[in-house]
Amino acid sequence: MNNAVLTNISRFLLLLFIQGLILKRLSLGWEGIVYVNVMIYPLFILLMPLRTPRPVILLSAFALGIGVDLFYGTLGLHTSATVLTAYARSYVLAFMEPREGYNVNYSPTKARMGAPWFLRYASIMMGIHLIAYFSIDAFSPQFFFSIVIKALYTFLFSLFFIIIIMQLFNPTD
Amino acid sequence: MRGLIQLFAAYGNFLLFLLLEGIALLLVVQFNQKQHDILNHSLLLLTTSMEHRVDRISEYIDMKEELVKLQGENQRLKAQLESAKFSNAVTRDTAVSDSLEQLYTYIAADVVSNSVLNTSNYLRLDRGSMHGVEPHMGVISQDGIVGVVRAVTDHYCNVMSILHRQTRIKAAIGSEGYFGTLSWDGKDPDFMQLSAVPKHANVSPGDTVFTSGYSQLFPPGLIIGTVDEVTVPKGQNFFDITVDLRNDIRKLQSVYIVIDEMRDEHQQLDEAIDE
Repeated sequence: MNNAVLTNISRFLLLLFIQGLILKRLSLGWEGIVYVNVMIYPLFILLMPLRTPRPVILLSAFALGIGVDLFYGTLGLHTSATVLTAYARSYVLAFMEPREGYNVNYSPTKARMGAPWFLRYASIMMGIHLIAYFSIDAFSPQFFFSIVIKALYTFLFSLFFIIIIMQLFNPTD
Repeated sequence: MRGLIQLFAAYGNFLLFLLLEGIALLLVVQFNQKQHDILNHSLLLLTTSMEHRVDRISEYIDMKEELVKLQGENQRLKAQLESAKFSNAVTRDTAVSDSLEQLYTYIAADVVSNSVLNTSNYLRLDRGSMHGVEPHMGVISQDGIVGVVRAVTDHYCNVMSILHRQTRIKAAIGSEGYFGTLSWDGKDPDFMQLSAVPKHANVSPGDTVFTSGYSQLFPPGLIIGTVDEVTVPKGQNFFDITVDLRNDIRKLQSVYIVIDEMRDEHQQLDEAIDE
């Protein structure tokens, strides 16, 4: 139990700093041509243990979002998208539940659930997160087309990074 | 208190989500210039459109007052028409002494109740003897004739509609000036029947039918409708004409009661003949 909490706290900090210090510069360099952003911090929400109470997920998502927003200087933007993603997580998990059900002591990782399942799970969650993020970024349904384009590019790059991270570290919980 | 706890147990996650999302969105519009501007602009659009609606509602409420003003104006304008004047033009040798005298004046009234479904229909108007209405006055609307006042009380009057089996109104037709008697067969409130127009008159569908001015009820030249159908029954010397009414009695709202200023003189004349 303590171990899982420690793992998640360190994962929280690690993803926050990678996102805020490294990936932010990456996307800034390409701004102007195609608005490409790489977002891997939602991975923290994705990988939280299945038994985590929902209020804890929501509150940690809020904290993570505020942290990323402080780095990006867009207070509230990442926060609102991340809270929405965290709220959607249990519905996505219920929707994707395998026939034999979940083992509540596990986390929904690639090692536990298998690569195809994890890829689908990550795609749905990242899709929700990015559509939410770019909708709030544009803040008007008028920019629907540009929202979709930006979300699509960012989705491809972010998913690519997430797959690489999962391949490299392959955490079980 | 217990209900509150149960509410939190059931919807706690959702409420927490709403709270956090609300805080996040508040931060978005508070600290990001672009989103802040978009929100302000949208709120402005919303409030202006709401104000516009409220304006339209208040315009609608004020309409009654406007209507009364317009009725008053119409009353004055109608009284100024040439058909509302009595011409005193007299020719002696070649000198013409011409002067006009007021013949018709009008009282605006609103329809209180109305019917067209019976074979004898009546209307009730919100003007009565207090306002100068007397029995046997004609009632017109802005596009045609409506009926004849039958009875009055202080504030109301009862009008025999032209859609009544006993209606007999002298009406002229076309440019030739032949006239007949207008009556109603009790069927369609859009059509009336014009009889007693002689067969040698030149009548064709589309001709206008208007008041003749031979009675003291209606000013002459008021358009009643157009000829819809013309037939000659066998062995008769008169046309059977169906008249398409110009006004729709079913939708009457505001009407004018016609006052003939020379009515007393007509009565005196009638009495003088009887003696």
